[in-house]
Amino acid sequence: MKKRLIFSLLAATSLYADAQMDAMKEQLNEQKEATAILEAKLNNLESKNTNQSASFSQNAYLPDMAFILNMSAVGRDVNNDDYANYELPGFIDTPDTPDLPFNANRGFNFNYAEVALHSVVDPYFEAFAIFHISPDELEIEEAFVQTTSLPYSFRIKAGKFKSSFGRLNDKHHHVWNFDSQPLIYKGLFGPDGISDAGIQLQWVAPTDTYLMFGAEAMQGVNERSFGDTSKNNLYIAYLKSSIDVGEDLSILGGLSYAHGKNTTDNPTDIYGADLTFREQLGSYSALIWQSEYLQRNKALVPTTDKQAGLYSELVYQYNNNYSFGARYDRITKNETDLSAFNTDTGDLDRYTAKMDYKPFPMSRLRLSYTYDRSKVIAGERKDINEVMLSLNIAAGAHGAHDY
Amino acid sequence: MKKILTLLILLSSLASASLRVETTYTTFGAIAQKVGGDLVSVHVLGSAKYDPHFIVPKPSLLSKLHRADLLIMNGGGLELGWLPPLIRGANNRNIQNGAKGFLDISHFIPLIDIPTSVSRGFGDVHAQGNPHYTTDPHMVPLIAKAIAAKLEVLDSDNTPVYEKNLDSFLQQWTTYLQTLDAKMKTCKDKKVVQYHELFNYFLRRYDYKSFGNIEPLPGIAPSSKHTIAIINTIKKNHIKLILQDVYHEKKTAKFIASKTDATVVIVPHDMGADGSTTLEGFYNNIAKQLCR
Repeated sequence: MKKRLIFSLLAATSLYADAQMDAMKEQLNEQKEATAILEAKLNNLESKNTNQSASFSQNAYLPDMAFILNMSAVGRDVNNDDYANYELPGFIDTPDTPDLPFNANRGFNFNYAEVALHSVVDPYFEAFAIFHISPDELEIEEAFVQTTSLPYSFRIKAGKFKSSFGRLNDKHHHVWNFDSQPLIYKGLFGPDGISDAGIQLQWVAPTDTYLMFGAEAMQGVNERSFGDTSKNNLYIAYLKSSIDVGEDLSILGGLSYAHGKNTTDNPTDIYGADLTFREQLGSYSALIWQSEYLQRNKALVPTTDKQAGLYSELVYQYNNNYSFGARYDRITKNETDLSAFNTDTGDLDRYTAKMDYKPFPMSRLRLSYTYDRSKVIAGERKDINEVMLSLNIAAGAHGAHDY
Repeated sequence: MKKILTLLILLSSLASASLRVETTYTTFGAIAQKVGGDLVSVHVLGSAKYDPHFIVPKPSLLSKLHRADLLIMNGGGLELGWLPPLIRGANNRNIQNGAKGFLDISHFIPLIDIPTSVSRGFGDVHAQGNPHYTTDPHMVPLIAKAIAAKLEVLDSDNTPVYEKNLDSFLQQWTTYLQTLDAKMKTCKDKKVVQYHELFNYFLRRYDYKSFGNIEPLPGIAPSSKHTIAIINTIKKNHIKLILQDVYHEKKTAKFIASKTDATVVIVPHDMGADGSTTLEGFYNNIAKQLCR
């Protein structure tokens, strides 16, 4: 009995083994056929694979193109009509055209879509353009050419561009540490900063310490501080330098000067000083302290307005996803005719706190709270509380930003 | 008077004697020094303790680039996030892309992991292929030859010196590679996971198999779901090694190790990331961490 059992078991296994072998043979044949089909396909493709490129194709020369979107949800304790007509005493008056390109409304705001282009023109120039499209208008925010191969460390830029005056002026809105413009920038230059047609010359000194000197001549259309455009009226000069303390702390400082003619045909002089400390705490973590002071002397007949202000901001980048920041804004000098106001116009300042969340380097969610003590609304000084959640996207081929 | 004149000539010859070479990362710096010898002064822009994708373009680097005669970069998109604004701001026509003093080493390297389709939906993918080729010691001769050829173009008078330096370095490196390859033959366990695909060139060279990455997608921070998946992969495939770079957070790797039999090893991605001061020391440290 036992023997028979063993025998039948053996037979069964050998039968099973035979069946398996047959299955494998069949599989092998199938694969051979599949390979043959693939080979035929490949031969067919290879025979077609001659150069069939379009005779006049220029696809390889397309510029780098990116699009940038900015939108927000805002809660504010001032209604929209009142807010649109706010005054910053001595700087922004009600008769001005509304000055609120971004985040004007309580509720939802779609601020802008931008198309940013960059291309090497030839061995001597590269070109940049940013088309700023807001719900009401299309604006050429910047469009300029820049040299790449001048001797003696010179570089020339020409077109419409943001002046490199100060620390913040030539930075685009989407790279600012805070969504709102510093009070003093808004007061002196308006929402676009100094952005104008003109020419720029920059020179880097051949020293171990970074030292850069720049000079610009611009049309001076900015009516807040300049605006006499019977001919080009604005001249700007600046000096920037930076030192490293150890491997991880870098300090960047700058002095800027702008001289132009205002709408009363009299000179306006603006002086700026900026200082940025950046302590790198790791690959993705840093502590950044950036401050800037601007003063304007605007000659009017028969007096000269002397006004100044500063902002100071501290940003703690915790990792590549989160960063936290706080900013203090203040008008420090306001020697101008404020007699039209029947309300207190001293101590104009603003406090802002924010948290950024970046799921990826190209997208950013930002939650901010602002306590604004700088505005006069409907003739009365009014403190404004604002909470904002903003979303910024930079998609496509968008180049790295400057320091 | 004569003395002063001699001194002046001496000083000016000293000043012109050396080519200023800037490299983006430390391994290139060391190789450039070997090939250039006394004829070059080498400076490295990106510290090895930081993520090579995210070097901070601080203004002091502008003054370094500003006077460079030669810029040696990794290429393959590794410097995309920080180098272009520096080249733009340095106002140095010698090192512009396409100029004589611009050297992209990736043009001399057969890149691997070239994606068939690219979208940022897949994370921060390098469209040109994996750019982390310096982790493979067999790439060093290719890099050295590319640098020597470039130095000979920039300073043709000293061609024989560069050739001699290159030959002796290559000879020395061949001997070193024989020792290293022999050692790597003795490694038993060749299954790993890594944080980012930093070591693929080394792993491929020595027949290691990488079963996955701690980051769910390139450039995206670890998620709990993906971490659990990695833990399961490690258990299923009996993986013993988790390769961690020096600059990412190490919590996730340690957590994974605590749930499995695997060990976290910190592997340098560039010379000096582990405190090494020589090329041999750097590759020995990679080998030491991986060869078990």
